[in-house]
Amino acid sequence: MNRHPGKQRASRILRATDSGQARMTINNMKNVIIKENETLVLPILWTGEESEISYEVLLSGQGASVAILGLLLGKDDAALQIKINVTHAAKNTKSEVILKGALTDAAKVNFEGLVKINHGATGTNAWLAAHLLLLSDKSKGRAIPSLEILENDIKAGHATTVGRINDIEMFYLMSRGLSREQAKQFVVQGFLASILEKFPREFQQKAKKNVRLS
Amino acid sequence: MKPQPIIKDSYKYGFHKPESAVFKTPKGINREIVEAISYHKNEPDWMREFRLKSLAIFEAKTMPTWGADLSGINFADMYYYVSPTDRKVRSWNEVPKDIKDTYDRIGIPQAEQRFLAGVGAQYDSEVIYHNLKKQWEDQGVIFTDTDTALKKYPEIMKEYFGTVIPPEDNKFAALNSAVWSGGSFVYVPKGVQVTIPLQAYFRINAANMGQFERTLIIAEEGSFVHYVEGCTAPIYTTDSLHAAVVEIVVKKGARVRYTTIQNWSDNVYNLVTKRMFVEEEGVGEWIDGNIGSKVTMKYPSVYLKGKGAKGEVLSLAFAGKGQYQDAGGKAFHLAPYTTSTITSKSVSVAGGRTSYRGMVFVNRGSKGSKSFVRCDALLLDDLSRSDTYPTNTVNEEDVTLGHEASVSKIGEAQLFYLMSRGLSEAQASSLIVNGFIEPIVKEIPLEYAVELNRLIELSMEGSVG
Repeated sequence: MNRHPGKQRASRILRATDSGQARMTINNMKNVIIKENETLVLPILWTGEESEISYEVLLSGQGASVAILGLLLGKDDAALQIKINVTHAAKNTKSEVILKGALTDAAKVNFEGLVKINHGATGTNAWLAAHLLLLSDKSKGRAIPSLEILENDIKAGHATTVGRINDIEMFYLMSRGLSREQAKQFVVQGFLASILEKFPREFQQKAKKNVRLS
Repeated sequence: MKPQPIIKDSYKYGFHKPESAVFKTPKGINREIVEAISYHKNEPDWMREFRLKSLAIFEAKTMPTWGADLSGINFADMYYYVSPTDRKVRSWNEVPKDIKDTYDRIGIPQAEQRFLAGVGAQYDSEVIYHNLKKQWEDQGVIFTDTDTALKKYPEIMKEYFGTVIPPEDNKFAALNSAVWSGGSFVYVPKGVQVTIPLQAYFRINAANMGQFERTLIIAEEGSFVHYVEGCTAPIYTTDSLHAAVVEIVVKKGARVRYTTIQNWSDNVYNLVTKRMFVEEEGVGEWIDGNIGSKVTMKYPSVYLKGKGAKGEVLSLAFAGKGQYQDAGGKAFHLAPYTTSTITSKSVSVAGGRTSYRGMVFVNRGSKGSKSFVRCDALLLDDLSRSDTYPTNTVNEEDVTLGHEASVSKIGEAQLFYLMSRGLSEAQASSLIVNGFIEPIVKEIPLEYAVELNRLIELSMEGSVG
């Protein structure tokens, strides 16, 4: 029941792409172990440099919690293979994996996510989501958000959407006098805003700059 | 010295039909056996070639590396063909007690029970079948077994057979293509609406229960047919492998609905390939229930090939003790304005494992396509397991694709409410499970739905609390 242990909880933020330690090289699966009552926030900002990002996260102690937040911006012929595996091995652990991507030109994203809840990891709460917005007819998105659940006293869910920009939102903005390009910018920013808000503050600024550029 | 009788009286071995020649291939699979099957069935050359080609593919293909553990299948230790009339008729005493009990509990008539258990050689519904048959024939509908179709309608068979699911598709499709026998053949002419569902059940011959059945359904332009395969009652068989292939062609503006309720006994590996080609404005629907078997791997798929084609898959999986149901659905959007919906409901209990394995693929150029996938899983205890493996691939911008899944246990509040009204925990749980699968059950014919509900009630007893 100790899902909100408050003060005792040690919190750390691991930066995925703004520090040398986390620059991914091909075939490099990064292992992260989260211990009792530890919380880890893992923001990922992809703007086309890496071709592969992978994380293997183990929630090993009671009350361990992880949030993996991915903001993926692809243009030209950028291609990303992103793999995230989360294993819940202890009670009352929590994981939240949310990826949001906007792809233009011939950009490609291939996401493979797997959340595994081991037998005995009761009270677990897991959410796995991937939302990809395709902004050009050459962009491609593939998402495989998998769940393996061996315990029944848990909550788990996943969601995926892959698709185009919302026509109704575009129409609304354009009827207010915005050009198609401007409207598109707004809709994309709106789409990405929900994940930006969850980013740690110092990381937000950097990410916002990139969103505007795309 | 008294001469020894050459032919012994076979009475003590049970049912004996002197007029039919006994034909059964030896155990194992090789070129000679496949040729023998084809020769025995007196097939045309093209079919023999097709079988031999498929055998080579079967031998070359590796076993699937994903999904269930299939190492228990021993291809060398199996009979691949027994001519239907010579199928060993077992005695009622050999049928396991739990299967007999289940028949009683879900209310299957005695004659039907014997047929399902493989005791009776024929199921006594010939009269009903013949009346219906006349009605269909007047409309030009062909509904027969696939072996007969090969003899009577060779042109249609040659045109479509193996085109929807080529033997190269997977190892088990190749195996089926090499040794297939039995199954149904349905041809619905242009514009004909078949109002009464065609049930494989009515087509009384033992071949229908085959291990390697092959079904082919062709619905011409603007026609409609609902085909129902299998039944909710457990089917007892000593064969350990069931590898069927179902091919369906839905022409322009036609609609085909295919309902299966599979309840093989728990020694069977059920590995079935099912696929539908849906042309312009056509509608293809799979309703796929998996309750029995030891292992099931089955992903009915719709290939939406024509503009505005629509596909729907409703999948229901129930895994009890020692069972692994690896089921799901696939939709391939290959033309503009195509839509697909996949709904999966799975229940795991007493250590059973269910997996949803699905695929939605949107090809480039399939503008305005829409797909929605929803899978819900219910886990009833901490011994059971539930997995979801959805693949979503989109190569086109102008597409709407959504996928949602949830996994839950039975809500304490729901259970408490029902129990406070005087229901036992088992009753309350089965009521909740029945409510959970309701969206699928309401789509299947009434008599099946009733049996299914009873069956779930039965499976829940003793597994909860």
